Amino acid sequence: MKHSRWRALLRKPETSSFLILCLAVVFFTVANDRFLSPLNVSNLLAFLPELGIIALGMTLLLTAGEFDLSVGAVFAFCPVISMLLVQHAGIDLGTALIVGFALTATIGAANGLFVTKAGISSFLVTLSMLLLVRGCTLFATQGFPLASWSGESILQILLAGSFYVGEVRLHASIIWFAALAALMFYVLNYSKVGNWISAIGSNRSAAVARGVPADAVKIGLFIVTSLLAGLAGIISSLRISSASPVAGDQYELEVIAMVVVGGTALTGGRGTIIGTIIGVFLLRIIRNGIVLVGVPGLAFNIFVGGIILIMLMVHSIVHKRSIRS
Amino acid sequence: MRRFFIAAAAAFLTAGASGAYAQEQRTFYLLSHGGESDPFWIDWNAGAQSACEQLNVTCNISFSGGDFAVQKEALNAAIASAPDGIGTTSAQPGLWTEEVKLAHEKGVPIVFFNTDDPDTGRDAYVGANLRLAGQIWANYLVDNGLVEEGDSVFMPVEVPGASYQQLETEGIASVFDPLGIKYDVVDAGTDPAGVIQKMSEYLIANDVDAVIALGDLVAASVQRVFDNVGMAPGAVPVVGWGNSKETANAVKDGYVNAALWQYPAHQGFMPVALLKMAADGQPIGYDIFTLQTYDKNSVQPILDLYGE
Repeated sequence: MKHSRWRALLRKPETSSFLILCLAVVFFTVANDRFLSPLNVSNLLAFLPELGIIALGMTLLLTAGEFDLSVGAVFAFCPVISMLLVQHAGIDLGTALIVGFALTATIGAANGLFVTKAGISSFLVTLSMLLLVRGCTLFATQGFPLASWSGESILQILLAGSFYVGEVRLHASIIWFAALAALMFYVLNYSKVGNWISAIGSNRSAAVARGVPADAVKIGLFIVTSLLAGLAGIISSLRISSASPVAGDQYELEVIAMVVVGGTALTGGRGTIIGTIIGVFLLRIIRNGIVLVGVPGLAFNIFVGGIILIMLMVHSIVHKRSIRS
Repeated sequence: MRRFFIAAAAAFLTAGASGAYAQEQRTFYLLSHGGESDPFWIDWNAGAQSACEQLNVTCNISFSGGDFAVQKEALNAAIASAPDGIGTTSAQPGLWTEEVKLAHEKGVPIVFFNTDDPDTGRDAYVGANLRLAGQIWANYLVDNGLVEEGDSVFMPVEVPGASYQQLETEGIASVFDPLGIKYDVVDAGTDPAGVIQKMSEYLIANDVDAVIALGDLVAASVQRVFDNVGMAPGAVPVVGWGNSKETANAVKDGYVNAALWQYPAHQGFMPVALLKMAADGQPIGYDIFTLQTYDKNSVQPILDLYGE
């Protein structure tokens, strides 16, 4: 009995990702003792949660059989619009953020409506939205990056404040990431909506036949994904004191890779928040570790691409074995 | 009724003729290989727009974000529309040989800016010599005793493989290679948060003896990166491009030792002025070089320009 439990655990996609993550940590630590230094850990944990927050939304969307290529553009759009309102319209930060998030939710809703009501594939809709939103952001700023919020504000502290745990400097974004991950884990695994999401991704027609409001769920997921991308963008812009119209460039591909490496199926029906968290850590640690082991600067992507490919092969083998058994 | 139609036709033709007369304005195409939100190209764009307004000409400005295929399409479209002049960058030698020939066949003057390719037979050039820029940075570090044989120099760049990186690296190599100084070109990307992250990771992982910022975005990020990894200003010597307010401030505060100023707004303004003169029938067969090194002692005019 115990034996079969271990076997079942080993066949889970998250387990293989976790084992590879552990191997990567051990390898990089041995290769360079600075890998676990407080400075490197602080640096790693500054950027990681921002991508992680987007990845959480993407996990739910992929589980429902859709994906969103506009998240990188929304990542730039939300802080740029908010900071434009603060700097040029004299609106306070809180109100500007509400407007920014409202517009971000509208983008998500538009994505969802086009996909569900017009029946256009999410690839085409969100690709168009990526261009549209990125273009609007560039036009609104004329290409100029905006100085982000520099004054004292409770919102700034809540979103991008930092604190020390020992010698490691952590940002508020890690708490946001942890809290949102817990919420998404609950939604996907223990709520009725989570069941609906998995059912829609597995077999939409069967789900609709059982009374699942598939269109409403998908529209909601597009809105949540956009909002999370906007939140990550706001956090990032406050952290680096700059709201740039080109921020988030190609984040959509990085985030999809994180989610898939974690074990969520690109074809829908199977999603895992724990796997996504592992995937986020794994990809960021690989990118960080590659630099630390002294790979030549122009060869980083060779190793990152190779490792991701190996990861996907491991997943494929594990998945096939679990189907056979 | 017939009289009415003749009168209407005459009025229409008169209005058309006067409209055509009113629209007899020079039209120029300005095509950049850069990205519209790059600090350098933002200032370049402002300079070009200013020239177009002051000289009362119509300018069609486009960027191609480092994609030569996009720029080639734009350049050929510009030639096909037979404008009064074209300004373009030549990010890679030999890219526009046929296009320059075609433009000249159609009687369209063509001025290169920012990156040159004199072999094409272009009418004039406005900008810096990128190979020379690389040599200036390398010589600055060597001449001031900031690097020596066996040292390692970190060279972040936004778009590895782009011609600016190649030409600057060639210039740097011509100084460093004979002296046995090592250098590593590192892909930092174009996303601001990603640039800071990657540069920080590299500085944590490696003991670097100097930094040469090969582009304006990476140069503008130096101060944030140093603060991020807890390095004091001047802890590692830094040189690079200085065509942004952030870098000028970093020079003033001691994070960057010396930077190169390319007069980006002038690189936008002068090609339009040259094209206007060419379109008005004046010869323009001369080049205009725009390059100046500045350091802590000479940064103030640049900061004043940015309206510190």
